[in-house]
Amino acid sequence: MSNPTQFPRHGQISRRRLLLSVPAFSGLLGTACSRETFVPPTVRGGLTGIADVLTMSLNRLVLADQPLAREYDVSDIAPEFPTWNQTNPPDEEYQRQRRKGFKDWSLPVTGLVERPSSFSLEEIKRMPARTQITNHVCEQGWSAIAQWTGTPLLQLLEAAGGVKPQARYVVLDTVDGWYEGIDMFEVVHPQTILAYSLNGNDLPTGNGAPLRLRVERQCGYKNLKFLKSIEVVESMVAFGRGTGGINSDWGFHWYGGV
Amino acid sequence: MTNDRGASIRKRITHHPLSVRIAHWVNVIAGGYLLVSGIHLFLDFPELYWGHTGYQGYPAIFRLSDWGLSWDEAGAMGNRMWGRNYHFTFAWVFLLNGLAYVGWNLKTGYLQRQLWPRRNELTLSRLGTEIHQQLRWATRRRSTATEYSPLQKASYVLLIFVFVPLMLLTGLAQSPGFTAAWPWMLDLFGGRQSARTLHSIGTLLFVLFVVVHVIEVLAGGAFNRIRSMVTGTLILPRSASGSRQDIDAGELHG
Repeated sequence: MSNPTQFPRHGQISRRRLLLSVPAFSGLLGTACSRETFVPPTVRGGLTGIADVLTMSLNRLVLADQPLAREYDVSDIAPEFPTWNQTNPPDEEYQRQRRKGFKDWSLPVTGLVERPSSFSLEEIKRMPARTQITNHVCEQGWSAIAQWTGTPLLQLLEAAGGVKPQARYVVLDTVDGWYEGIDMFEVVHPQTILAYSLNGNDLPTGNGAPLRLRVERQCGYKNLKFLKSIEVVESMVAFGRGTGGINSDWGFHWYGGV
Repeated sequence: MTNDRGASIRKRITHHPLSVRIAHWVNVIAGGYLLVSGIHLFLDFPELYWGHTGYQGYPAIFRLSDWGLSWDEAGAMGNRMWGRNYHFTFAWVFLLNGLAYVGWNLKTGYLQRQLWPRRNELTLSRLGTEIHQQLRWATRRRSTATEYSPLQKASYVLLIFVFVPLMLLTGLAQSPGFTAAWPWMLDLFGGRQSARTLHSIGTLLFVLFVVVHVIEVLAGGAFNRIRSMVTGTLILPRSASGSRQDIDAGELHG
């Protein structure tokens, strides 16, 4: 295991460089003090709701400097990376894309961005990439160290012209019907990437090909596989049951930091 | 009550301060929820590993299936959504209650007076005598005690200032958010899976503590002892309350 600063990797971009390269996002840093940073989109009733707010607020306070999740050494990579939940969505269009190696696949980025756009896998792969060896922490109890390569989400949003000032959440939809919202505090983090590579190979189908979210400071259930589209929004109310994600619709914590 | 010789010569004393009684029963509720929800979480992933990595198929140091409960059977009993919601909710109740208890009772001096062992209480010979007496079940003396014995003081101080912080840290060391902020927790315990394993071992120690604690209360006169933790009133036979030496040598139950 190693400190990332001691082992700079080719093509890796630092948080500082990333943020400096994105003038459109300077306004986002101001959102670090806003309500969404400390409180889930919907607060549940009772003691559990109070605990949710305490947990998220404390987590965000100690993460205020936006530290990186620990990055490990190549030798720490687990012999295999488990596959859970959906491992091969039966969706017809998805299967057609998969057979063609995702050549026609593209990711729409819509909502509160200046230039709503759609990006092919090739275009995404041509953007500056970040490679990180991290421990995937599943809320169920397992964890596995793996190397992920992908485009920082912030980079992709910049390619769509940057976000509008009222943007609060980025909603990711998946082929298998999952969705999750993540707030801007997580979006601006350099380890928040859209990964197309696992351990140096193309992302396998079971792990969410062609593109999945890596949000390293939250549990596995926020790290959606099989991404289908991205939408930048001000409120999560209109999605699902309005709690901010499919997992919190079911009753799990919206904030997956613990 | 069990050792009272006559109702007319009993003496009532106010035993546990209100702050201790409130903290105790909040702990019973929070500890109960933490235990049950923790068992749910374990059953939903009934294997333990060492290091940073651990998943089904990875070399485990403990597998419930080796003890007769298959992965699927255990999984059917454990509900991780319920478990996570209530584990973290009552972790907060437990933490805030504990901080209030320690803060308040440091301020009033109760902790220093009643719980912190005096220097002469921690000598090997004194502790040896205490352990010997403990194992002899000196019931009469125990039921009249109004102060904690050196063994109890050592147990409670270790519980409050060593065990509970370690349980908290081994819990937090499993969180991707908190370990990003405090990566030293991963180094301290050797990784997320090690922390989960230590947290599980700690759960067994917690159960052991509760069992011994309840046995001690029952042995010390269950009704009188439980009442003293509810209303604060402990009833002593006159012979015990008359002599300070007797009480000093005695021990408080629970």
